Amino acid sequence: MDIRLLRPSDIPQIQQTNITNLPENYFCKYYMYHALSWPQLSYVAVDVSRPKKSPYDAPKVVGYVLAKMEEDPQDGVQHGHITSLSVMRTHRRLGLAEKLMRQSQRAMYETYSAQYVSLHVRVSNVAARSLYEVTLGFKNNGTEAGYYADGEDAFSMRKDLDYLREEALEEESEEEGEGSVGRDEGGEVGSAGRAGEGAERLRKVRVGRQLGVGDLVERSG
Amino acid sequence: MAQNPQQLPSKEASLFRHVVQNYETKQYKKGLKAAEQILRKHPNHGDTQAMKALILMSQGKADEAFDLCKLALKNAMKSHICWHVYGLLYRQQKNYEEAIKAYRFALRLEPDNVQIQRDLALLQMQMRDYTGYVQSRRQMLQQRPGFRQNWTALAIGLHLSGDLAGAEDVLHRYEETLRQTPPKSDIEHAEAVLYKNTIMAEMGDHERALEHLDSVRKSALDRTAVMEMRAEYLLQLDRTDEAEKAYTKLLKRNAERRDYYEGLEKARGLDRSKKEDQEKLGQLYHSCAQQSERIDAARRIPLDFKHGDEFRQHADKYLRRMFQKGVPSTFANVKQLYSDQEKKETICALVQGYLGEEPQTNGDVDQVSSGTTNGSIKPPMPDAATTWKLGVNYFLAQHYDYHLSRDLAKAQQYIDAAIAVNPSPSDYTYHMTRARIIKHMGDVVKASEAMNNAREMDLKDRYINTKCAKYQLRNDQNADAINTMGMFTRKEAVGGPLGDLLDMQCVWFITEDGESYYRQGKLALAMKRFQALYDIFEVWQEDQFDFHSFSLRKGMVRAYVDMLRWEDRLQEHPFFTRAALSAIRIYCLLHDRPDIGKSGGHLNGNDSESAADKKKAAKKAKREAEKAEQERKAQAAKKSQPQKAEDGEQKKEDQDPEGQEAFKIAAEKPLDEAMKYLHPLLELSPRNVDAQVAGFEIYLRRRKYLPALKCHLATLALQPEHPKVFEQSSRLRLALEQLAEPLPQKAQQVVEETFLSRVAGSKSIEAAVEEYFQQHKTSLAHVQAVVRVRQALRPSDADQKAKSVQDLSDALKADGTSLKDALDGLTLLQEMQISVEAREKYVSVAREQWPVATVFQRR
Repeated sequence: MDIRLLRPSDIPQIQQTNITNLPENYFCKYYMYHALSWPQLSYVAVDVSRPKKSPYDAPKVVGYVLAKMEEDPQDGVQHGHITSLSVMRTHRRLGLAEKLMRQSQRAMYETYSAQYVSLHVRVSNVAARSLYEVTLGFKNNGTEAGYYADGEDAFSMRKDLDYLREEALEEESEEEGEGSVGRDEGGEVGSAGRAGEGAERLRKVRVGRQLGVGDLVERSG
Repeated sequence: MAQNPQQLPSKEASLFRHVVQNYETKQYKKGLKAAEQILRKHPNHGDTQAMKALILMSQGKADEAFDLCKLALKNAMKSHICWHVYGLLYRQQKNYEEAIKAYRFALRLEPDNVQIQRDLALLQMQMRDYTGYVQSRRQMLQQRPGFRQNWTALAIGLHLSGDLAGAEDVLHRYEETLRQTPPKSDIEHAEAVLYKNTIMAEMGDHERALEHLDSVRKSALDRTAVMEMRAEYLLQLDRTDEAEKAYTKLLKRNAERRDYYEGLEKARGLDRSKKEDQEKLGQLYHSCAQQSERIDAARRIPLDFKHGDEFRQHADKYLRRMFQKGVPSTFANVKQLYSDQEKKETICALVQGYLGEEPQTNGDVDQVSSGTTNGSIKPPMPDAATTWKLGVNYFLAQHYDYHLSRDLAKAQQYIDAAIAVNPSPSDYTYHMTRARIIKHMGDVVKASEAMNNAREMDLKDRYINTKCAKYQLRNDQNADAINTMGMFTRKEAVGGPLGDLLDMQCVWFITEDGESYYRQGKLALAMKRFQALYDIFEVWQEDQFDFHSFSLRKGMVRAYVDMLRWEDRLQEHPFFTRAALSAIRIYCLLHDRPDIGKSGGHLNGNDSESAADKKKAAKKAKREAEKAEQERKAQAAKKSQPQKAEDGEQKKEDQDPEGQEAFKIAAEKPLDEAMKYLHPLLELSPRNVDAQVAGFEIYLRRRKYLPALKCHLATLALQPEHPKVFEQSSRLRLALEQLAEPLPQKAQQVVEETFLSRVAGSKSIEAAVEEYFQQHKTSLAHVQAVVRVRQALRPSDADQKAKSVQDLSDALKADGTSLKDALDGLTLLQEMQISVEAREKYVSVAREQWPVATVFQRR
């Protein structure tokens, strides 16, 4: 298994993995939206030990994490959000979900100074809840009634990313004779109210605007 | 607007601005009302007409919109607004060439209009007109040099057009315009700097790229990328000590990244193919594995390069560890090694040996379950002895199911043993594999039942639900499959479960559904599915459009460039290839048998089918149609309100659910239609032998002999032993011998030099084919090639047909004949329209080889 950053060319396979495993599905453009907005945050697990069938084999994606930054956090605290995470049934017990999540979390912290990461999980999904709470150290932050399309409730979970500061400091101290990679610390960690949710509930995302005559005004960069 | 001679009084002018605003905010009704208010007083005001047309277009009224816009242009030829709208209308229809023309007109009238300039540039990027794009972008930069994205965009254009130095220069000049260094949190800036660095590396100047990277490292926010780039540059520059350190550091962050291990090996100067490096490689991976108990890669990779006893020892350790942990993907993880006969046997012997063992309890092995977000129920963790027994039996079942080590009876034994010890009522893994083994025996009916049993063990798990639907499709239970899928699709989707699957671009289902219809001879429906797949790829292509502006605003340039390069090769994806090959097969069939096209695409008129069968089939079809109609009505009744898509346009019901209309059109010119599938195949997947084979079939039928020859030569180069090579060369030779009029001289010369001089010796085609038959008569695939050539030579020779049936039946008996080849043989016989008796002759032999295979059962 190879754990690496998601590339746009992986999207058809990721989409297939998603619709094979999960009831919440998205079309290609939504994956592109993630890959082109926060290209550092999403990862895939690829089965590299499959014999090749043709010179154009697509990477066999057996797991992925699709992640984003919350664009307008209600609590004003920079934080990441897991839009979707899935590992093929046939590739369980390799710790893939955990490994994928850890890569994504670190990138949230390093690139966007995320203070915490949030996610939703079906109340009935015992396996996933156990992964998040036991293995990955997420805390249950409350229930969102009727969050899913079929009416099921979601637990809203989050995990503090403070531990990554330690790791970063450790890494820095290993770098010989080089300055620190210090970063600005944001506000209080995880103290404020709940994060603005619901973005991943929308299946369709209009990226860019509708084309129009007076529409395409230059915006300052 | 100042130059517009069609000046409005101030009241209407302000109303016009409202129209524009309404359009932009998608308040179409309001906009229309305002436009009509203006037009009542100024019925010939072009700009208003144009804006109204634009709104109509957004409401899905394309014809009306075009008519009105043309009228607007008549009234105001010199209005850039009218031309701009005209372009936008074409753009909506994806007629990019016309859109670009219209934008150009608009721009000629209003050279400094930023919006038109931008719209033009977007299309130029979409069309990959880099020259045009660079030109547009240069102009936009001159007009507004204060915006970063104007610089970045020009750099991207130059980069993609191949002017790397120019691109770097533009990015550099932008940095120079900055009075102060942007703050560290400025991610766009950080990204632009890294983009510049990748361009330097792409120019091959790693020295300078490294220097630059080191100078910006501290402000870079994408730390992983910086570390990876740095390690790669160091390796390129042969600074191996530093490269080794860099890769070691990267592995600390991600110990499952294969590229890092490769980099580390290179940095150490180790070569897997060298015997003397074996020990060092072993040590390297050993020390990597020691970093953590959780690392898989460092433990798995040595199986690739170790041999003999070393391999046995390492495999033993690796497999034991996996079985203790109860990792279900162990077989999937090692099967790649099976291409090496010795490794395959070693692994099999080791695992056979584990059968009699009780596991040692190993305190070090952590039993933390990774879990998944799918499944609803977390399987209980069985005791160590059960885990071991389960894993070993499961592995052996998969081993004997795998095509390189297949013995399906044994596979069945082992999977039954695994099922017997499986303590979980909801862990369907082993039942699923049982279904798979049955499928490989060819019994698609039982396989489908078995997979449904597995599904019923965990109804809330979509993975097994998906598998079940797939097996139902393999058994041609199309209605059951869609019902199964419907348990997890959105209830509110227009068009029911299938509508949702199309919306969600569920490629695998659409393809399997199409292939199933093809098997059943329902060609119109099959074609409809393949067309749906073709359309999905069109949508994916179109999807990039919005990112031409979005990504410039977001500033994630490297990801954007990566995306563009992927889109350029989009249709090389195996998802496309598979559907395209099936579609092409149908088009060939339609060309060869025009009667099928006239019969509405039903391939049930086989001579081999008895009258009773036909009657039965017709009855069944009628029942199905009635059922479908009922379902449709029920669906329609359930829907109290039509669903609205987000932009207010209503999603329409499919007017041609059976694909009959489209099929009629396609059946008229099947070979022309086939080209839209063939072009991408030959252009993007030329090394796929099936693509070349398909190309040959189409071009030969089109009497395009040079392209056919090209495909033949490509097939030959890719796989000289491929049975199609002989078949193609014979059929091409025959076609050239039977030409109505000679080829043009130059073409003839090419044919002589590259082809005829090689194949056309003294032997006739007839003699050559029988000689080839003698050499290959125990290979069913090759005998099929022989039969096809014979058919081409003498299509209606009854004796020859009888001999062909005999030869195919004999070849069936040979060792190593695959079920797929046997099925292909049957398809060929059906294409030859042989008698029921002749068919039964072949099938009875096949039945001996595959006693439970559904297709060979007595009807």
